[in-house]
Amino acid sequence: MHKKDEPSLKGTFVSVLLLGAFILVSWLGIFFLFMARN
Amino acid sequence: MHLHRLEKIWLSIGIGMLAVFLIVIGTMAFSMGIKPPSEHHHTIDPTKVSETAPFDQPGLRQTGDNRYEAVMVAYAFGFEPEKMEVPVGATIDFTVTSSDVVHGFYVVGTNINLMVVPGEISHLSHTFDKPGEYLILCNEYCGTGHEYMATTIVVK
Repeated sequence: MHKKDEPSLKGTFVSVLLLGAFILVSWLGIFFLFMARN
Repeated sequence: MHLHRLEKIWLSIGIGMLAVFLIVIGTMAFSMGIKPPSEHHHTIDPTKVSETAPFDQPGLRQTGDNRYEAVMVAYAFGFEPEKMEVPVGATIDFTVTSSDVVHGFYVVGTNINLMVVPGEISHLSHTFDKPGEYLILCNEYCGTGHEYMATTIVVK
């Protein structure tokens, strides 16, 4: 496959990173809330 | 299989995050004992709660050095015993059951949050390191008097 035929996935990449950041922030928030209350 | 360079990056990040989450939770569960209270599974006849030990005498009992057992019954609409008092730093082992419907057992500002199911006995331990008046609430809708269902633990 030629490089020119590759679809551009920049938009997808940014969306995936935003979703990942949201999951990470939520997880850390819940984790530290749990530790603070324990 | 051909993978786009960016696909490889986000797959690595995703798998890495999953690994970190599982390692943290696994370490806490297996080496620190922080896990859902599932290891004690006890049942009771919900129609005979007031005749079955230890729920025939609900209350707070000292079981060791600054360690207490709180035997509690949740009912529509309240908790027995009504008020409890422990010194700062006390560990309370809660043993809770319901004599009627499903209730909640939530101590505001702590991780104590149990579902109290008729026929089941719920267990949870917590160490109260800060003085204050802790509010215990029912957080499972149980009937018309649900919002009055509360009691307190005084830590001083």
